[in-house]
Amino acid sequence: MSKLPPIARLPVLLTGLLSLVGGVLAGLGRMGWDVPTSALHAAGMHGALMVAAFFGTVISLERAVAVEYLWAYLAPLAAASGGALLLVGAPASLAQYLILCGAVVMTATSIYTLRRLLAPCTLVLVGAATCWAIGNLTWLLTDSASTATPWWFAFLVLTIAGERLELSRLVPTPRVAQALFLPIVIALPSGAALALCDERHGLILFSAALLSLSCWLLCFDIAAHNVRREGLPRFIAVCLLAGYVWLACAGLLGLGDAFLPGDAWRDSAIHALGVGFVFSMILGHAPIVLPAVARVHIPYHVSFYLPLLVLHAALSVRVFGGIRDHFALQRIGGLANAYALLLFFAVLSLAVLRGRTSAGRNSGGT
Amino acid sequence: MTNSKPECDAYPDTAPTRAPVNEQHVRTVLRQIVDPEVGINIVDLGLVYCVAVETACVRVALTMTSPACPLGEMMIEEARDALLAACPEHTEVVVELVWKPAWQPSMMSREARQTLGWQD
Repeated sequence: MSKLPPIARLPVLLTGLLSLVGGVLAGLGRMGWDVPTSALHAAGMHGALMVAAFFGTVISLERAVAVEYLWAYLAPLAAASGGALLLVGAPASLAQYLILCGAVVMTATSIYTLRRLLAPCTLVLVGAATCWAIGNLTWLLTDSASTATPWWFAFLVLTIAGERLELSRLVPTPRVAQALFLPIVIALPSGAALALCDERHGLILFSAALLSLSCWLLCFDIAAHNVRREGLPRFIAVCLLAGYVWLACAGLLGLGDAFLPGDAWRDSAIHALGVGFVFSMILGHAPIVLPAVARVHIPYHVSFYLPLLVLHAALSVRVFGGIRDHFALQRIGGLANAYALLLFFAVLSLAVLRGRTSAGRNSGGT
Repeated sequence: MTNSKPECDAYPDTAPTRAPVNEQHVRTVLRQIVDPEVGINIVDLGLVYCVAVETACVRVALTMTSPACPLGEMMIEEARDALLAACPEHTEVVVELVWKPAWQPSMMSREARQTLGWQD
């Protein structure tokens, strides 16, 4: 076992963040906002940059830090490099191979965690990593990010679901709830698989699984308990619960065929899931995970609620605009979502500075 | 429901301590380390498996509720820093992460279980 010092993880993390910036700009370019030419050229790579590259990098980096083996860091390195190649306009196949390799390594890392704990939660995490790998393979073989999208979302949703299942052991979760969880998480990749040959019914199964999972989480997740506490636990719980509502929204839209390529409500469904659910999780857990990965102290501050509020308000405008076929509202919502992320980084940066100032004051006083 | 604690065989041959710290003191110090999402300290969560206080040496075995969580390394560092600050100078502090036995909810303290809604 050999640890990678936190400072050595920063280049990978920062390269992964480039995929986030590039992906967001590409998404704005698709909506007709003025963006740098390179971002406009990457407009068709928005989904790949956001999910396969950015989320793939940060999630596999977390996993590598957890298992503490040097080889595990090949996963985020490959994903971040793949994203960088997409941004500079390299042939997509290079990025596809790299990100696929990253996913295979992360699957191996996740299998390794079974040696530490063989339980439903760790099995779900193996399933999540496998979905990322299958999604990347699908993208490589079909060159269609749209075809890979259900697998990529299965990767994200199952990663979050596995972590929530693990935490649910801290509270008295009814046996029937524990029994219901596995069929729900099996239905998700099953829907993605079915969609490869019967797109409509596969996506309906996928959407039903999203809706079922949202109900499970709203009823049984520890967030329902922690929202009554104070400080950071409450903030995380609020992020989670808001995310679960968007997960339900995505599931409901999907049951109306919104995930089908070309559907009028597809933008709303995709972003209810990707922004409303996944990014809400990111906002809630960044104050915990960033210190673990990058060794920065991020003391909780009530200002954390501001980007969360902007994110959800903007997404509401975007989704409403999509459902009502009001493109101007969709554009405004999309832009405001991007600003919410900027605001989030600003708030976190201020918190880091506040933490350093406080630490300096304390050490000066002893 | 009784709490089932793991057998503390991590440090079987512990010499009698002559250091002015004891196991209770170590656990009190470790109560500073709090799970950020749950807001409960690692001692009450049942994550502190073994504490051995030897002459000029303190050894602690910790676990995590999830093997896929990246917070383990940071928790070890925080525990080590807290103990180094609280123990006499030149005390060696060894904190390690272990995975056996697997953590179970029954390892939490009565107070933690009540906070999290368990009816014991």
